[in-house]
Amino acid sequence: MNSQRRTWIKRGLAALGAAAFATALALPQQTMAADLQKVRVSIIPINDVTPLFAAMKQGYFAEEGLEIDTTPSAGGATGIPGLIAGSFDIVYGNVVSMLLAAQQGIDIRVAAPGTKIDTPEFDMSAMVVRADSGIKTGRDLEGKSVGVNTRNNVIWLYARAWIKATGGDPDRVTYREVPHPQMEDALRQKQVDAGYMVIPYVAIATQKPEFQAIAHPYSKVQLGVDVGQYLTTAKFLSDKPETVTKFVRALRRGIEWYNANRGTDDLLKIVSGFTRLDVEVLRKVKMSPAPLKVDPPQIETTMKLMIEHRLLRGPIDVKPLIAAQAL
Amino acid sequence: MSNAANDSLTGNALRPHAATAWGRLAARMQATPRLSGFVLVAALLCLWEASARLGWVNSQNWPPVSLVLVAVAQGIASGELASLLLSTLRRMASGYVLGCGIGVALGLLLGTNRWLRYVLKPIIEVIRPIPAPAIVPPLILFLGVDDALKIFVVSLACFFPAFLNTLAGVETIDDVLLQTARTFRVGARRTLFQVVFPATLPMIAAGLRVATGIALVVTVISEMIAGSSGIGYYIIQMQYAMKPEAMYAAVLLLAVTGYLVNRVFLVVEQRFIPWLGK
Repeated sequence: MNSQRRTWIKRGLAALGAAAFATALALPQQTMAADLQKVRVSIIPINDVTPLFAAMKQGYFAEEGLEIDTTPSAGGATGIPGLIAGSFDIVYGNVVSMLLAAQQGIDIRVAAPGTKIDTPEFDMSAMVVRADSGIKTGRDLEGKSVGVNTRNNVIWLYARAWIKATGGDPDRVTYREVPHPQMEDALRQKQVDAGYMVIPYVAIATQKPEFQAIAHPYSKVQLGVDVGQYLTTAKFLSDKPETVTKFVRALRRGIEWYNANRGTDDLLKIVSGFTRLDVEVLRKVKMSPAPLKVDPPQIETTMKLMIEHRLLRGPIDVKPLIAAQAL
Repeated sequence: MSNAANDSLTGNALRPHAATAWGRLAARMQATPRLSGFVLVAALLCLWEASARLGWVNSQNWPPVSLVLVAVAQGIASGELASLLLSTLRRMASGYVLGCGIGVALGLLLGTNRWLRYVLKPIIEVIRPIPAPAIVPPLILFLGVDDALKIFVVSLACFFPAFLNTLAGVETIDDVLLQTARTFRVGARRTLFQVVFPATLPMIAAGLRVATGIALVVTVISEMIAGSSGIGYYIIQMQYAMKPEAMYAAVLLLAVTGYLVNRVFLVVEQRFIPWLGK
């Protein structure tokens, strides 16, 4: 009995050691691309990155000798940290995150254009309230609460700016963090009095008579706002400038294809593929045209807004942050 | 006493005048206590179904459980859920083995070496209260967003129950065992592996079992925060894709997995540590 027990213990310990060793071996496995150069891109699974997927599908990146490896980040929170850690070469991010990173001394660079709101018609994201609430302006929201996906970020900033622009004091409004998909429930259950909703959720909610879009803060506060960009590090830009050039060139072809095919079934299928949203839901969404260039003056306007709302301590020189390829 | 009560109830159920449906069910539940647990689960699932069908909960994020079960079936049929679950279990197992291995080894070492205990115990106690999900974002800077990060976080979370139980097991070991070993002039290493380790195994097993539950939870949370793989990411992805049935299908699958992992652990425990005294 005793020797049998000892054998089991020895076997157990051996198995434990072997498993630990196997795990250690399995951890970092670098895969080598055969002939295409691999570029690791972190994305947010929203319509904004459709041109990237269109360019992949049309083979524009392969023609440049690039293979794009996308990693979705549902909340978008891990993009910039992953960029700094070296998990990604390029990340899709919003202008506020980019400027916050720059303020923290991170050598971040804008590599390519992403999303821009040039016409009020295509600004679907909206401040939504219950139809019977009587709330019309930022002034009406004083002492009430507004749902935003993340505090101290782009949605929060433009919610505050809109409240101020319509006669309210943004400091007298409570901001509650509610994930985008739950905003409608939060509004209905009166956990918030207004919610800053984005596509596709805003399209679904505002079709119901119980909800009403009262304003479109992006276009109301800053028409032309350059909301999102593809970001990289100064190091990647200086080490592999030709990779960035190829990436932007292929992406621009993807943007042109996207702009020419907005609303078509081919395009909806691409969006449905990486967002997992049903095509019927996507039909309700107006897809805004994507920009071919980054717009530095708009980024400067956003920067000033961030200083006004105490997100930035002082001005940042925006021009050096933008790679020549993005212009 | 309780046996007698059980017997009399089963006897009642067999009598024709008490043979209403509810009476029979109640009696069977008394006779087989495990059944009552399943009845409660079934009742709660019915409540879920009713709350969604009858509009008690007005939300597009609250699908009836029947649709969730359909989504489970579809997910399993397409193979998607199974491959997601396997990738999650692989990460969980790697982190579990690493964390528990180091935890048990350090527990044995610190338990038998006072000097090591004085040096290492404070730092371990300082790290212990930090919730594993809280350190994921800063860890991304060092470990990236892929498997290395998740396996590290899981192993860290599993380390503590394994380590603390092992240490407590060594500290409360029957002194007679150690004195006997000393009387027979058994060497330090042999004492550790043939006296201390087997005597501590029941405590270690308890620690390892606590760690299994923690491992699954932490794996899923780390997948939710970083990267794009496994069942944790799938839950978030389906939430954002407005497919709550698919989201709850994954949640249900996790519940069943957690239950099964625990059952498997109990079986393994009884097979390998028969002196656990159950």
